[in-house]
Amino acid sequence: MTRLEARHPGDELAGARSSAPGLVERRRGLLALASRETHRVLKLWTQTILAPVISSLLFIVVFGLSLGERIKDIDGVPYDQFIVPGLIAMAMAQAAYSNNASSTFQARFDRYIHDVLAAPMRAWEVNLGLSVGGAVRALAIGIALGAVAVPVTGVPVREPFALAAAVIALLVAFCALGVVVGIYAESFDHHMAVNNVAILPLAFLGGVFYSVDLLPSPWEEISQLNPVFYLVQAVRYGFLGTADVSYALALGVTAGCGVVFVAWSAWLFATGRRLKP
Amino acid sequence: MGAVVSPPPPALALHGLTKRYDGGLLALDGFDLEIPDGAFFGLLGPNGAGKTTLISAVCNLIRVTGGDLRVFGLPHDSLEARRLVGLAEQDVNLDRFLDVRETLVYHGGYYGMTRRRAQARANEMMDVFDLRGKAGVRAPQLSGGMRRRLLLARALMHEPRLVILDEPTAGVDIELRTELWTYIRRLHEGGTTILLTTHYLEEAEALCEEIALIRDGRLLARDSADGLRAAYDAETLQDVYLRAMAG
Repeated sequence: MTRLEARHPGDELAGARSSAPGLVERRRGLLALASRETHRVLKLWTQTILAPVISSLLFIVVFGLSLGERIKDIDGVPYDQFIVPGLIAMAMAQAAYSNNASSTFQARFDRYIHDVLAAPMRAWEVNLGLSVGGAVRALAIGIALGAVAVPVTGVPVREPFALAAAVIALLVAFCALGVVVGIYAESFDHHMAVNNVAILPLAFLGGVFYSVDLLPSPWEEISQLNPVFYLVQAVRYGFLGTADVSYALALGVTAGCGVVFVAWSAWLFATGRRLKP
Repeated sequence: MGAVVSPPPPALALHGLTKRYDGGLLALDGFDLEIPDGAFFGLLGPNGAGKTTLISAVCNLIRVTGGDLRVFGLPHDSLEARRLVGLAEQDVNLDRFLDVRETLVYHGGYYGMTRRRAQARANEMMDVFDLRGKAGVRAPQLSGGMRRRLLLARALMHEPRLVILDEPTAGVDIELRTELWTYIRRLHEGGTTILLTTHYLEEAEALCEEIALIRDGRLLARDSADGLRAAYDAETLQDVYLRAMAG
């Protein structure tokens, strides 16, 4: 050990009080946390981005390009184009969820979340900062999949603004869900279980590969109880300009789920429940 | 008439601090403690006495059941108070995805430092704690001693006025313990208030100006090492400790 730094932040504090800090200055903690979460995603990009992109592309190749010619058009849309929006939505939702669930759980498990909880950051800043990684990862996957699937299958983007709104609602809902599950999880198995037992089956049963209009009653009605069905429909409308239900309903249900999960995570951070003994 | 000069607020003031965990365990029961600005204060007690609970309460890591906690006169959970406290926890809690430099720079960011300032300060801390050669090494690849150094460096990154060290020398070799003592002493000489918990009585005696003994969430005594020896009519601090804990 060679040197001693004994400066104190008291003067800086006084200085900070004398002039109103700017937006960036006031949010440096949030920016640092968001940057760390993004850094984690990019550092492990082969696991966090490349792997889910490849698995989704395999679905497009196997089900769309190989089997697609043997399946008739759905609502006038070629099958290889029909499945692209649902596959992208599913990949993005899973990525947003699993990233935030694992990152939040890991931070709790290794207790380095203490470094953040003790820092001068507001509860909502910690919540938002921990959520950013999932959003970045999901967007990277969605953009990569779109960049390949659009030219390969020729799937159009007929309603770009509707698609953007659907993606935002998707990100809000599944990023917040991931943080919530990461806070409640007692082991890695728990957050994997939510993905494998809930999200993945609901996505497959939510019309990723078929139109629920083709299902006999009561399966068509039962499918409409599945919240992921509305997410798939909202994204599909953005690409194809058509969906099994109205876009407003699909977006409304997805956004409603987002509001519930954000409120839940905000409550956890504001009260410290599950985060602080 | 001259203006009345009020004394500076204590670095830490706890009044009626109570913590009951969800399982019903009462870890702290109406605990009162004041640590003056600039003090080197030791907290001694057996496992489960409430030392780590007290520290966690000050650093907003647990939900406090009751009481008033102030850091330099500020409510402990205010953003201003949090900026003034640095914590090196007993357990190694480092982000396994970050290397040494990143650990320090991100910590600086959480505490509002600009990236440039945080990088400069991280370089200083790495020099001080001989971590420069490990700047690009991730925490899981560091030796136990290096991790302990990194925990201390991280706690000091944002230049806190109150540094809380929860058993900082637990499990480190004699050489590193001596180095850490030297550093902590110099930090205190620079005006930083230190709150130290330790199980090593000779460490408390060598470093602390004042020592508090706690057991079962209650303060048993506080004084200098000499004062405690006199109060307990004991020759050594170990005798004081054993008598206090047996009582």
